[in-house]
This record gives sequence, C-alpha cells and structure tokens, in this order.
Amino acid sequence: MASGNGYSGKILKVDLTTGEFETIPTEKYKSWGGGHGMGSAIFFDLCTDKTIKGTDPKNVVTIMTSPLSGTLAPSVAGRCEVQGIGIQAYPTGWFTRSNFGGRFSTQLKFAGWDGIVLMGKSPKKVWLNIVNGDVKLQDATDLWGLNTRETQEEIWASVEPSKKDDDWVNLGTSRDSGRTTQRPAVLTAGPNAELYGPMAALVHDAGNGAGQGGFGGVFASKNLKAVSVLGSGGVAIADPKALMAARLWSNGYSFGGHHDDPVEYVGLTSFGSTPGRPLAPMQDTPEGVKSRPQGCVGCIRSCRGRTDTGEGNESQCVDFFWYDHHDVNANGKVTDASPRGADAIQLAGVNAFAVEAATLWIEQLYHQGILGKGKAIDSNLPFDKFGSGEWAEAFINCIITQTDIGKELCKGVAQAALAWGRLEIDTKSGILPLQEYGLPHHYDARTEVEWGYGSLIGERDINEHDFNWHVYWTPTIAGLFGVETAVSAQRLSEIFAKKMIPYNDPMAINYSDEGIYSESMAKTVAWHRHYTRFYKQSMAFCDWGWADFVNPYGPEHEGMTGIGENKFINAVIGGDMTFAEGMEIGRKIWNLDRAIWILQGRHRDIEKFAEYIYTTGAQPGTTTYEAPYTMPVFENNEWSYKSVAGRILDRQKSEDWKTLFFKVEGWDVKSGWPTRETLEKLDLANVADALEKVGKLGASA
Amino acid sequence: MADPKNKETDVTSVVKGKEISRRQFMTGVGGLGIGAIVGGLIGGAFLLPDQVIAIQASDGYLLVDTKKCAGCTSCMMACSLTHHGETNMSLSRIQITQDPFGKFPDDIGIAQCRQCPYPSCVEACPTGAMHVDKATGVRTVDAAKCVGCERCVNACPFTPSRTLWNFEEKHSQKCDLCKDTPFWDEDGGPDGKRACEEVCSMGAIKFTKELPVQSEDGYETDLRTGTVWDKLGFDGAPKSGGHLG
Repeated sequence: MASGNGYSGKILKVDLTTGEFETIPTEKYKSWGGGHGMGSAIFFDLCTDKTIKGTDPKNVVTIMTSPLSGTLAPSVAGRCEVQGIGIQAYPTGWFTRSNFGGRFSTQLKFAGWDGIVLMGKSPKKVWLNIVNGDVKLQDATDLWGLNTRETQEEIWASVEPSKKDDDWVNLGTSRDSGRTTQRPAVLTAGPNAELYGPMAALVHDAGNGAGQGGFGGVFASKNLKAVSVLGSGGVAIADPKALMAARLWSNGYSFGGHHDDPVEYVGLTSFGSTPGRPLAPMQDTPEGVKSRPQGCVGCIRSCRGRTDTGEGNESQCVDFFWYDHHDVNANGKVTDASPRGADAIQLAGVNAFAVEAATLWIEQLYHQGILGKGKAIDSNLPFDKFGSGEWAEAFINCIITQTDIGKELCKGVAQAALAWGRLEIDTKSGILPLQEYGLPHHYDARTEVEWGYGSLIGERDINEHDFNWHVYWTPTIAGLFGVETAVSAQRLSEIFAKKMIPYNDPMAINYSDEGIYSESMAKTVAWHRHYTRFYKQSMAFCDWGWADFVNPYGPEHEGMTGIGENKFINAVIGGDMTFAEGMEIGRKIWNLDRAIWILQGRHRDIEKFAEYIYTTGAQPGTTTYEAPYTMPVFENNEWSYKSVAGRILDRQKSEDWKTLFFKVEGWDVKSGWPTRETLEKLDLANVADALEKVGKLGASA
Repeated sequence: MADPKNKETDVTSVVKGKEISRRQFMTGVGGLGIGAIVGGLIGGAFLLPDQVIAIQASDGYLLVDTKKCAGCTSCMMACSLTHHGETNMSLSRIQITQDPFGKFPDDIGIAQCRQCPYPSCVEACPTGAMHVDKATGVRTVDAAKCVGCERCVNACPFTPSRTLWNFEEKHSQKCDLCKDTPFWDEDGGPDGKRACEEVCSMGAIKFTKELPVQSEDGYETDLRTGTVWDKLGFDGAPKSGGHLG
C-alpha cells in the first residue's frame, strides 16, 4: 500500500560512472517541500565545486517530483522539475532549472520514487530503466541517434515486450507484482544531442519539453540518452476526503465546473481557461483539422491537443509560435507548416525559445543581405520557401547535424553571434533578441519589468505567467478588441495586493514609468521569486493553471491563489501549512539558489540586460509581443490601463532599483550577495559558511 | 436453476426471432440483452418460464465520449482515491489508454465497465463474490468471498479487462458506480454521484439509467454535439492567423 502522505519516501541516486545505485531518504530533504527546493538542496550538498561547467561529469542533475505529483491536485500532478548546471546561458552556464509536464512525475511516484539524482558519466551510452523498485542501466548504442519519438517507441517495446494494445501488463514475475495498462513514461534527449548541446532539450511523450538550460546536452555529456519509468504503486494521501472535496471545490473556478455554460472572457487567464486555449492548438491547427484538447495528468484545463493528422500533437505556445507567424506571413493563414515546425523541434529535442530568437534574427540578417547563399554568412537554407514546413525542418536539421549555419548555431545563439562577429552590434540594435545572459527574449524587460528583473536577478527567462496574463495580455487584448476589461485596473490592483502575502503592497502592479523602478516593484519581484520557487517549482503547480489571481468564475473575479494552493497541499501531505509559510520556504529556496550563483561568480555588476533594453524601444517584428503593450499604471492619482510599448529602461534607475531589491531581500547592496544575518534567519548557516570561505558573503548593513 | 449445458440455448431462445451468437448476446449488440428485456425489476437473478435465468439490469451505466476525453486521467485517480484512499492508476476501475503520437480520435481509449446486461464476470465467478447487487443492479465484488481465481478478470470480453486484480488487497474489483466509496463524503451509486464523472473537467463522462445502445466497439456516445463544444473548433479548426493574427 502507498505510504508517506504524498511522498514515496526515497530518492534514487545514480552514479553513472560506476553504475551503482543508492537510495537517499526523502526525509532528509522534506523541509524543502519537493521539486526545486529538494533539487537545489541536493545539488548544494553533492556538487562540491559549483564552478564547473555543465558538461563536467561532476555536474549533478536532479529530476524531482512534488508530493502532489500523481494526485488529484488540479493542474499540479503532471509537472516535473529538472535542475543542474546548464550549458545554454552565455557566458556563464548558470545552475538552472527546467520543468516539463505529461505523466513522467506521476509514473515516478507510482514506481516508488520522489526523484532521481544523476551523477558522473557513464563509460558507455546508456538509458535508465525504472520499473517500480527494479532499476537498471541499459545499453543505448542503438538509441543514441534516434529522434525523440523513435527512442520512446523503442523503449516502450523494450520495457513491455508482452504488451498487446491497451491490455493489462504484469510488472514483475509474481501475480502480485503489480499491473498496469499504461506505457512507460520516458524522458529523452534528441538524436546525438552532444552535437547541439546548448540548444538541446529533454522531451517526454509527443510534446512535453524541459527546454531551457541545454539539459539534452547535459544528458549527452553523461552518456545518458533517456530515463524510462513505469510504476504500479500509488500515492498515499493524508486526507483523501479533503482532497476530493478540494478538487470538486476548484471545479467552481474552472471550465470543468461550467462546461455546459462557460463564461466568455476577453483576455487570458489560467485556471479558468477554456480547454485547448489560449495560445495553443486552436490558433495553430490548420483549417479543417479535427482535434481534441489534451492535458497532463490531473489537469483541469488541458492546454494542448492531438490532431487527426497526428501533427503538432501535445505542442503548444512557443512550440508553434517560433514559426507560426512566418507561416502566416508566407501563406496568408496557418498551414501545416506550423505543426511541422512544432514537430521538428519536438522530434529533434531542440529548445523552442532559442530557435524562436534565432529565426527572428536570421530573417533580419537575410533581408539585410548579410546571410544567404554566397553572403557574408553563407547559407543554403531555402529562404525562398521561408514560412514553409520544408524551411522549418531544414533549419532544425542543420542545427542538429552541425551543417550550414547550424555549424555555429549548434553551440548556442549567442555563441553563433559571437563567432559571426555580430553579438555586440545585434544585441545593441535589438535584432538579436537575447535579453539577459545570452538567453532569448520572451516578455519584454522594458515594459513588463517583473518578468525582466526576475530573469536577470535569477538565471534564465522566468517563463512564469502569474502576472503576465492579467497585467499584459488581458488589457492588451481588450484594447485590440476595443472593449472594456472585465476587471478594471483599480480592481486588479486590489486583487493582487490582497493576495501577495506578506507584502500586500497596493502599488504592486504599478507599471508606470515611475512604478517600474519603485520599492513596490522590488517587493513584487521578490514575491514572485518566492512564490514560484515554492508553489510552482517545488510543489509543481503548473504555470498554465496557477497562480490563480484573476478568475472569471471567481467572486468578483477573484481567483483561488492564497487559499487554493494550501488546500491541496494540506490534504495530500497533512498538516496545516499556511500560504505565508509556503512563501517563506520559497524565500529560503531562492536564497539558496542565489548563493549557488554567487559561488559560480555572480555579482550585481554583471547583472545587466542586453544593450538594446537600455537604448532602443521595441521595433515590431524583432522581439515578441511588443506592440502594443498595455499595462496597469497608477498616474495622476488613479489607476488605468496604458500602452507602454516602445519604452526603454533607464540604466541608472534600473541600477537603483536593484539596490532597492537587494534591501528587500536582505542582501548586501554593493554586491547583491546574501548576508549571514539573512541566511541564518533562514536556517542556512552552512550556506553562509560556504560563501564566507570564498570571500563572497554579503556584508551586513 | 437452468441446466448449464443448456444455458446458451435457453438464453438464446428468450430473444425471439433473432439468431445471435453467445458473444454477441453478452456484449448486447443492438442493445438487446436480457437485462433490457427484463430491466427495471427489483431483485437478483430469477427464473423465467422454462427455467431460464434472468439477471437484473444495472440501475445505471457510465457513458463515455472518447472524442471529448483529454487524457488527463483524473478519473483514474479519483476512482482509486475514493475507493482506496490513495491515487493509483493500477487500482482504477476505469482505465484511460493513449498513444501520444496517435491520430485523433484513435489516440485515446476509455475503458469503463459497461455493467453488461449479461455479465460474464458474474457468470464466471465460482463463489458468488462477483455478483449483482440486489439493491442497485450494480455488478460488483464481495471481496470477502473472493478466492483470487481471476476467472472474472479473464472472462471480461473487453480489452483491457474491466475487472481487475487488486494486487495490494488480493481480490478482484470492478466499477461499482461508486456504490462503496469509503473515502468520499458524497453518496455514490446509481442514485448518488460517481467520482470519475464529477472530476472530469471535459464532461466526457456522464451517467445514465437507460441501457445504452452499443456495438462491439463501444457505446455510440456523443456528449459534444449541441453543447458549447460545437463552438470550440475541435470538429474542424477555423482559419487562423496564428498567435499574432
């Protein structure tokens, strides 16, 4: 019987060098919650030299579930957190994270494991096979050059050779070993991922991707192709009745509770979204194609889909968007070029954000006569067919085979620009949209500052839409349609202030030209980092469902955040954790991560955006979502929505903002390093010792 | 009790004017199962004239629309949670199987128990553990009587078997329409609620008290047409300008 109230009780540690397995008791790291918190703590303990590169065998990679994985917690149960030293950021591969959905974390829990720790480097190419408690490393020679679909289909057949169609399969040799109708859940790198490591993602099923950080390349550096997991166990629940009741309570906030009469909402939201929307298959499914919405385990909004063509399965958002506008520009509407572009990156296991930035850039270079056949940057890619599926597939293929411009792009977008002598000039003009640390521009640091600042003080594009749906998309879409927003700027500010415990700042979402440099915005960014570190990255609440700030089904549009998260956590693990207590754990995790980056060389002096952020207003077609950019502002003593498109960041004011932020966090304002006082209050004295040992402990005020 | 050797002939003879095989009868082709003929009567099996056994129909059935299913498997977790207090797909009495690379609508299968009018799982059980509940007609297992022979698991004519072996508690089990859900505050059963139906966020599972029309492939269930689903574009995507269009 399952036991442990959400936790399986053990973490699998794999020494790939020796092929030996060990069990880490989960209890040792339980205070960190799960997921990211545990991963960071394990990394801190086991990676003794944090200055190594991500391809060093001493890199420690964690794949961690949450106690809510494999339970009925809505839009939580399917996520899984990957961490380690990454190889994508430039010039320093920061200790970083990526996260993916689907059913992998569920199967890992059902197999009896809370996570996997990968250390060392295998002498031979291998894949890791986990079936309940039976764990082995198997030869991956024949899998190494296969794409992600081929790899998974081979592994499914290998793990369940007797499986016929959808029938039950016995796992193990005895009648009571456990049975399942499910396929193994596989997480795999693409074909020969060492050839394009910094661009290489990990893919699970058709479209779940851990895209950022180059973890596909990190896997390859360890001679590891894939991890497969299949389980027949379960997850013990502290209070099953409370979990079921919480799930049915949350129905009231979702399409599922209103699918006979859903609300029409102009804008974007999270938990209350209609299935298959937004930013998902419907926008990028060719005309006439039939489909279904499809969701990760336990999801209530099912944000992607599967089609009757089989193309574009389980892809969503930037999986399509990296190419869909090129498709539309060339063909007048979405054609099969868009799902072919999505499938190209999924099968290859290539990071969608990286190719999105790269495509925008090389398109500009092509039109400027700098790149193309016989040009300064020579390329035989069929630019006459730009916008076709053929071009997308050829482009991805050249990256993964190190041919054509892929010879340079395979090393990373910033690295390619450096090799072509264009890094400085193109990041100054902004046609190469690499916003921080050589990483692709997602949302705009000049306008939506909580996104930019969070990415900068962190280590990667945050890809966390908690504010974004409500402070950018909804007012912008409403403006485009010429309608009033359902929630006024004033009301929006009240909802956010109420829910952003412990700061509760009434100016939290003031994105005015003054507000973006304010202490209120510093608290907003701090809140966001703490919330996401615990609730989303450690307890695995999915970014597409949570935070639930504004919900069209909620009372006066108020969503569940602040109450909903802990209903589910406490039902599963027991106890009575408050929202504030969870936020404090998030602050602790954030401080630990900050310490790791500092050990890697972080200092406030290198925390700067690309030059274009300070000099150039957004030019249409160069970055993403920049025109218009309507946000809530408090000006002339009142709240309103206003377009801030074209804004640039003031260099000195943003430096001053960093000082305010460091004060809010209790860090040394000169360096941005945590102080001993701050760390000890978080029970991180050992971390303070580690920083002090290398002369990087922040000085107390 | 009818002579088992003559059972097939006797059962067939009740369905007048139709020549159908035993398998067809058990799967209720055309909705003609003996349960339908005698449906609505309270009590367990009883005798018709000529010593033919009749079996009480279930008071209800799960309808599933495979084309509406999102494959989130919340139904599987709700089933195991409410029955066993843990989320465990291997203990779920409804199974969702899927191929991530498959083409809609064949990428997902929903395997729910059909509460067969002539339940071969009941027929196969040597101890009466698998039985028809007198109060509700639900085909269900009395775990105390189960000797673990798994004849019921093998007897189910569908793949995957709707009857499953509970390898933790060592007895067979199957969908009881949530008649016995000790880990749920709601009343289950045909007159109560069903956990899978309640958690399904797509509305792909519904309950009916009428025996559904069914083929060897399953129920012909459409829970989409005439609902808001018509406007969502899944039956044929509209022309699109992409995410910036």
